[in-house]
Amino acid sequence: MNEGEIIKYLRNRFGNKIRRTDICRDRRFYINVDSDCLKDVCKVIFRDLDARFITSIGVDERQYNGGFLVAHNFAFDSWKLLCSLQTNVDGDSPSVQSITDIVPASNWAEREFRDLLGIEPVGHIYPKRLVLPDGWPDGVYPLRKDFPYDSVPEGFDENRSFKFDDAPPGCVVVPFGPFHPTLDEPAHFRLYVEGEMVRGCEYRGFMAHRGIEKLGESVLTYNEIPMAAERICGICGCVHNVAYAQAVENAVGIMPPPRSEYIRTIMLELERLHSHLLWVGLACHISGFDTLFMHCFRIREPVMWIAEKISGNRKTYALCLIGGVRWDITEELNQELREVIGKLETSWREVVKAVEKDSNLQKRTRGVGIADKKLVKESALLGPVARAAGVPIDSRRDHPYAAYNRVEFDVVVSDFCDVWGRLIVRMYEVFESIKIIRQCLQKIEPGSIQATITDEIPVGRFGMSSVEAPRGECHHFVITGENNRPRRWRVRAPTYQNLQGVPTMIKDQQLADMTLALASIDPCFSCTDRLETVDIKTGKVRVYSAKELETLFLWR
Amino acid sequence: MSFISKIRETLICLKAGRVTLPYPYQPRPAPEKFRGRPIFDASKCIGCAGCANNCPAREILVLDICQEIRILKYLGRRCTYCGRCADVCPENAITMSKDYETATNNIADIQQKLELFMSTCQRCGRCFKEPSPLEQLKLKGYRFDDLANERWIFKSKSYLDNFKVSDDIHIELD
Repeated sequence: MNEGEIIKYLRNRFGNKIRRTDICRDRRFYINVDSDCLKDVCKVIFRDLDARFITSIGVDERQYNGGFLVAHNFAFDSWKLLCSLQTNVDGDSPSVQSITDIVPASNWAEREFRDLLGIEPVGHIYPKRLVLPDGWPDGVYPLRKDFPYDSVPEGFDENRSFKFDDAPPGCVVVPFGPFHPTLDEPAHFRLYVEGEMVRGCEYRGFMAHRGIEKLGESVLTYNEIPMAAERICGICGCVHNVAYAQAVENAVGIMPPPRSEYIRTIMLELERLHSHLLWVGLACHISGFDTLFMHCFRIREPVMWIAEKISGNRKTYALCLIGGVRWDITEELNQELREVIGKLETSWREVVKAVEKDSNLQKRTRGVGIADKKLVKESALLGPVARAAGVPIDSRRDHPYAAYNRVEFDVVVSDFCDVWGRLIVRMYEVFESIKIIRQCLQKIEPGSIQATITDEIPVGRFGMSSVEAPRGECHHFVITGENNRPRRWRVRAPTYQNLQGVPTMIKDQQLADMTLALASIDPCFSCTDRLETVDIKTGKVRVYSAKELETLFLWR
Repeated sequence: MSFISKIRETLICLKAGRVTLPYPYQPRPAPEKFRGRPIFDASKCIGCAGCANNCPAREILVLDICQEIRILKYLGRRCTYCGRCADVCPENAITMSKDYETATNNIADIQQKLELFMSTCQRCGRCFKEPSPLEQLKLKGYRFDDLANERWIFKSKSYLDNFKVSDDIHIELD
């Protein structure tokens, strides 16, 4: 089916409850429906048309039309379409039908717009606070437009503590995190353990919500956001940088020149190379195979060096601006990059040959962290986790961007459904990345690397962009706005969805497998807000608040 | 089969040799394009404040003391070394150096403060030539950033008071 046929199908089912439809460029379309039939339309799209859930977005539009906007984004991967299903919500007492009982994957996204914008998802299956800190006063919504970006709300209660759910009968609670040797970033899992078996868990995260979307909507300007977006993630920063730029370009129809599209593709693939090599190293490290960990990092290092030569930094490439890129790949760099990936391919082939038959590693990873096709659909899992479950989704092929429609590559799929499958998928994707970079270097066209932008960006346009990060699809949604900055900028990183699948993946598994199962999604959290110290002499535990810390370590 | 795998893995180790670099005794030379700490050249700077307006980290502050003297201060605290200031500078007064070992216990080592003589310029900001409309100056006229508290002030108290654009966030001095 194409966009028109889907809209026709929905119109036949729902008649004039479908208020408005827009078919836009790059195979994206927008549907605005009455709020009372939102759930039914979602059901048809998600179940009958078999779409993949991407994310839910809340937008404060009260200063323009007196209400809020709620959007549920879906992807039709086999038809190569992206769809945003929207509904307008009343401004005074905003509430919307929850779709969590049909689309379980929308669990976090709905809680997020409830916390940040105060739009109540009626009938949510697990309506617990998700994003805001425990002491944050009720009824204050930081992402609303009337809330200044640097405001501290009245009535912040330092002493209000988080209420955990009750553990199931017969289970012992084992806390995992927020500080744990295998977690680089803070996240807390409260595991319910029966003997050695994990029977369930409760997740508590968002300990380092940085409010980067608010910053983008109220302080930064269009061409400053790419640099801020890059700081969302320390490993796949360039993905966010490109995804944001593409979302704005998609919204207003700016065409980046072909050369810049090739450069974007090359840098994204370089990033995937170093991320996958890092992950394989870490997976080996967690399963106690440190030799290979060292060698993965040895093989990875030249990738960082060549990225530094091209962009000026090993990791933060600061690559994109709206309508192009900042760094050119000269003939000299082109030659050098060919040599680097040539050497990388030989040394990686040796590693893969050694590892794919390693029965010790297989025994450690087979049957651990099972995510099957059903879980992938229900929790909308992405990237290598989905591909290791035999679901061939890859934004590079399904929703082509940059120069991916001009290169040939295979989507690596495995049927193991476990950590071993994810290891295999990632190891072979390295070869696909090398293939893509080679083709790009050969096909790269001469010309400009930045489109000339002569007019200001028009107001009120929608833009979507999906970019395949090493961990899965990264989705950016932009509504353009006044004052040279977007009105709404929503980021959905791949871990946001993959993490929601972890409780099912570790259920009925050994406690010792928890670390490996969690690491297998390549999780990406962030920094911390509290610090606990123990007085060695008295053994007294004291928890410092952020304010006390500020006075302790006065940084000004 | 595992035995053969282990032999293969051993061979990889033998072939690789030693790769660790003797840092910090012999630092690896930074590549040509490297983006390190930005260096401001006061002799070239014309005080257009284009860098201050396009810094994603809001690291560059501008304060007009009087008609003729404008202070430009680089804070060096949360600078991300993205190099946008050097990109937009119309006079190439900013260079991204190769200096990356910037850890210090005195922030003044990194900060730079330029005192610029502005002649009789009206400081409308028009001397800044933006590469595209996305980089245009939103704050024109006199600038009153708070150097003591190191804070960007969004409100312009200039003759362009009715220019609504700069009034999007209400922070005022005293």
